[in-house]
Amino acid sequence: MDQLKSLLRRPKFYNNIDGVGELGIGFALLSFALVGWLLSRGPENSLGYHLHWFQLWCLLMLLAIPYGSKAIKKRITYPRTGFVAYRKRFPFWVALIYGIGAGTLLRVGGEFFERSHGEITRPHWGITTPAALGGLLFAACYAYGYARTVRWKRAVAGVLAIGTVAIAMLSADALGVLARDSWGHSEFLYRCGVVWFLFLMLYGTVLLISGGVSFALYLLHTQPAAETAE
Amino acid sequence: MNLKTRKLAELDRVIHEPGRLMIVALLSAVEQADFLYLQHETEMNKGTLSSHLSKLEEAGYIEVTKTYRGKIPQTLLRLTVEGRQAFQQYRRRLKEAL
Repeated sequence: MDQLKSLLRRPKFYNNIDGVGELGIGFALLSFALVGWLLSRGPENSLGYHLHWFQLWCLLMLLAIPYGSKAIKKRITYPRTGFVAYRKRFPFWVALIYGIGAGTLLRVGGEFFERSHGEITRPHWGITTPAALGGLLFAACYAYGYARTVRWKRAVAGVLAIGTVAIAMLSADALGVLARDSWGHSEFLYRCGVVWFLFLMLYGTVLLISGGVSFALYLLHTQPAAETAE
Repeated sequence: MNLKTRKLAELDRVIHEPGRLMIVALLSAVEQADFLYLQHETEMNKGTLSSHLSKLEEAGYIEVTKTYRGKIPQTLLRLTVEGRQAFQQYRRRLKEAL
């Protein structure tokens, strides 16, 4: 029965056999970090200052990542190890609506948080504890989703967990130094933004490297099938 | 013959063969897949895989579509409704028997 269950899970893991899933997530996280950094530091009259650009960027990412992954799969993965069409739980436009809805909620929630708590002085652990918990949850999700079948990816999950703890242990002064030139309404929010940026950078970089290594190994160990009838 | 042994005897013979069980299990988790994917995952040679696929097609458990990916021939395979039901029933019976 266990062997049967593991067989049933194999198509799901096949989706990241070439590391494209991780490359997509890593690229998205790094680009969000970059755009977030530009937004927080852009002069008030610059284009980068406006949050609408961030929303536009999110929409572009939402379109670029699935289509980019699809193109790599079509040109590289399918000719080498075969084509798989997964069962669709819901159509693309539903996912798009969910994405836009989640982005809007995040923004509304962020603004509400900023207005209601911005001026309240909070202890440093008020940032680091939820950030560490969120980061460890992400590392656990990665371990469950990607590292179960590929042994070396357990080390990647370990790096994510250790990095999360390291960021969470940064002192208030260290975060303050990094947040110095950004705009915002309170010191607390400056530091929240820096923690968010550091997490995006860590996860984005690690996933991009891990995905890149998987992709290189995939290319090394596979070759396009011979053009013969099946 | 006790109940568990009887349950084992009732298992679908078409699906119960290890090679075909692998194919049906893999196809049950996807919408459709091609021959190359099944060959890669099951590590069977073309002849053996073709033979198993023919038996599953005869039983009406899979649907085979011959098409082209560019100029390269491609064989797409999917479980039929009957195939999906048969696999679910097989899993249920196997669970009861074990």
